[in-house]
Amino acid sequence: MAGDHAAGEPPTRPDERLLNLVIALVNTSAAMTKQQVRSGVHGYGAAPSTEAFERMFERDKDTLRALGVPIVTVEGSGHSDEVGYRIDNDAYALPPVDLTPAELGVVALAAQLWSDKTLRTDMSRAMTKLAAAGAADAAGDAVAGLTPRLRAAGDAYGPLLEAVSERRVVTFRYRAANTGEVRTRTVEPWRIAARGGGWYVVGHDREREATRVFRLSRIDGRVRVGAEAGAYTIPDRVDVDAALGARVGAERTALLAVAPERAPVLRARAVGPGPGVPRAPRGRDVVAVPFRSMTAIADEVAGYGAAVLVVEPAELRSEVRRRLAAAARLDGGAGETGERHG
Amino acid sequence: MVERADDRLVRLLGIVAYLDDAGPVGVDELARQFGVSTERIRQDIDALWVSGTPGYMPDDLIDFDAFSLEEGLVTLTQSRGLTRPLRLGTREAVALVAALRAMHTTPAVQADAERTAVVGSALAKLTAATGEAAHAVDVRLGGEGDSRVLGVLTRAVAAGRRVRLRYVDAADAVSERDVDPVRLVTQDDATYLVGWCYRAAGRRTFRVDRVLEAVATDLDVAEHDLDPDVDVFAQVAADVGQSPRVATLRLASPARWVAEEVPVEGVRDLPDGSFEVRLRVTNPAWLRRLLLTNAPDVLAVEPPDVAADVAAAARAALAADADEGTDSTPLG
Repeated sequence: MAGDHAAGEPPTRPDERLLNLVIALVNTSAAMTKQQVRSGVHGYGAAPSTEAFERMFERDKDTLRALGVPIVTVEGSGHSDEVGYRIDNDAYALPPVDLTPAELGVVALAAQLWSDKTLRTDMSRAMTKLAAAGAADAAGDAVAGLTPRLRAAGDAYGPLLEAVSERRVVTFRYRAANTGEVRTRTVEPWRIAARGGGWYVVGHDREREATRVFRLSRIDGRVRVGAEAGAYTIPDRVDVDAALGARVGAERTALLAVAPERAPVLRARAVGPGPGVPRAPRGRDVVAVPFRSMTAIADEVAGYGAAVLVVEPAELRSEVRRRLAAAARLDGGAGETGERHG
Repeated sequence: MVERADDRLVRLLGIVAYLDDAGPVGVDELARQFGVSTERIRQDIDALWVSGTPGYMPDDLIDFDAFSLEEGLVTLTQSRGLTRPLRLGTREAVALVAALRAMHTTPAVQADAERTAVVGSALAKLTAATGEAAHAVDVRLGGEGDSRVLGVLTRAVAAGRRVRLRYVDAADAVSERDVDPVRLVTQDDATYLVGWCYRAAGRRTFRVDRVLEAVATDLDVAEHDLDPDVDVFAQVAADVGQSPRVATLRLASPARWVAEEVPVEGVRDLPDGSFEVRLRVTNPAWLRRLLLTNAPDVLAVEPPDVAADVAAAARAALAADADEGTDSTPLG
C-alpha cells in the first residue's frame, strides 16, 4: 500500500517526519546534505521557508540525538563541500541484553524509582526500547511487594548530568547553608548523588580549589553548562560517601535522659550506657545513642519535647534548645525564654 | 491525550525491530509487548506503512502483509533497515543503572538472598549494555534499618503471611498489631510497610524503623479491599483526608520539604519567599512533633490552640532541661 508523497503537501505529524528522517539516514549510502533532506524526506517539503526548514531540521536532529539515535556529520567531499548527515549504524543498536522475565520485572520496578517528570519520560522510553529488543513479559514475583521511590531531583539534574557525561564546567548561584548568602560557584562536576532524601553534586570547586559537595535544592536558578566538552578529567575513584561524610560527620554518641517508658525507638538504637555515664537525672534513664548528623538527631530529640533531654554533647543540647525556644514563641511569645535565634 | 512525538517515534522504530526478529505477531500481543492499546498499534502500523526512503515508491516503503492484518496478525514484509533495536540514550541508561544499583543496596532487597541475586544480574546485564556512562549518578536508598525486622517483613510479603508487630506510633505509644502485609515501600531514606491492620480495621502505613519487633505467623493473609498498587503517599493523604481538623502553617523557605513530603491540602507561595501549607490533622501528636522539630522555620500557626499546644510543650521541655542541666553535666 503506497501513499501519495508529493513534497509540500499537507504537514506531516512530527513523529512521522522524524521516522522518515531516521529511515532515510539509515539507508543513505554515504550521507545526505540538508538540501537533499529538504527536497527528499517526507515532511520537510512543508517548511514554508529556508529558515523554517533549518529550524525544523536542527530541532529534529537534537530530538533524535536525545533519543540515542547517533547522527554523525560527514565533511563534504568531491563535487560538494556541503556537510552531510547519516546515522552511524554500528552505534545505533542496543547490544543484546537478554533479560530473563524475572530480571525484566526488576528493571520495570527500578524504572519507577524516579519522581521527576522528565526522568519518568526517559524511563518509559527505555522500557519501550527493551520491549523492542524482544524482552519477554516481565515477571514481578522476584520483587513482589516492593516499591522504591526517590524524591524528585529537580531542574538542576538535567544540565548537571549533561555536564558530568561530557565533562563540561558548570556555574550556578548557590545558597550557603549557614549564612544564607548566595554566591556564584564554578564547578567541575564528577557525580550526582542521592543520600538520605537529599540530592547532591560532588565535584571540584574551581575558586576554592578543593572537592566540594553542593545540595541541589540550594542551587538558585539555572545551572549553566560550559561550551567546552572534555574540559577536565574525573578522578578514577570518587568516594561520594567520603565527600558527604565531611558534611554528615563521623559517628558520635549522644547521652540522652529519657522519661520512663518513653521513646522506645530511641531506646532500641541505644548502645547502652557507656563507662563514666553521669548519674541519671531524677526518674529518667540515660541512654547512649550513636548519631552522624547533628541536624537529624537534634530534630528527632526536639520532637519528643520534655520526654527526652540531652545530657551531652553540649552542641546537641544547644541545637535542641534552639528549636524548643522557637517553638515556645509560636503562640505569640507568651513564654519568651530570653533566648534569640542562634 | 496527545502523545509526545519522541515517545511515539521510539515505539514506531521499536515495533519494526521487534517484528523483524519475532516474526508474525498478533495485534493484541504487540499491544501488550509495548504497553499500549490495540487501537494505538493499528494507528502505528498505518503510519509505518506509508513511511520509507526518499522517493516513496511502493518498493521504498515499510510493508506489512495486508491479508494477515485483516485476521489480526501483524506480518512485516519490508523493514527498510530498521532491523535492530535502538540503544538506550545516555540519560536513560544512567537513570536505569543508577536505579538498579540503588535497589540492589536497599535493606528490603538485601534482606533476601534470592532478590539480591536477581537485582544483581539485571544490573550486571544493563551495565554491560550501556557502558561507561553508568557512573554519573550514584543513588542510595533506605536507611540502615533493622535488618532482622526487614527480613521478617520481606519474607512475609512474599509468602503472604500475617505478621505481628510491636509498633511505636507518632505519639510515642507502643502497640501490638496484627497486620496482613501488602508491600514494602522505600522512599528516600525510609522504608514503609503498607498493610491491613486488624487493630485499626483498615489500611495502614508503618515506618519500618518504628517497628520494634516483627514476628511472622502461620496465617495466610486474608482478602481485603486494598488496591495493591496504591501510592503510599496518596494513601497517607487519603487516610488523612478523613480527618475534620485543618491546620495552616506559614513556613520559611528552608522548610520547603514539608510541602513536598507531608500530605498537604494546598500550598500557597508568598511574595517574601515563605509559603503557606494547609494540612489535615489526624494525629495531634504528629503535628506537635513536626512543629517542635521545625520551629525555627515556622513563622505562624493557625488555629491558635495548635500554636498554644506546641508552645506549651516546648516551654515544658525547656524547663525540664534547665532543671536537669544543673544536676547533671554543666551547660556548655
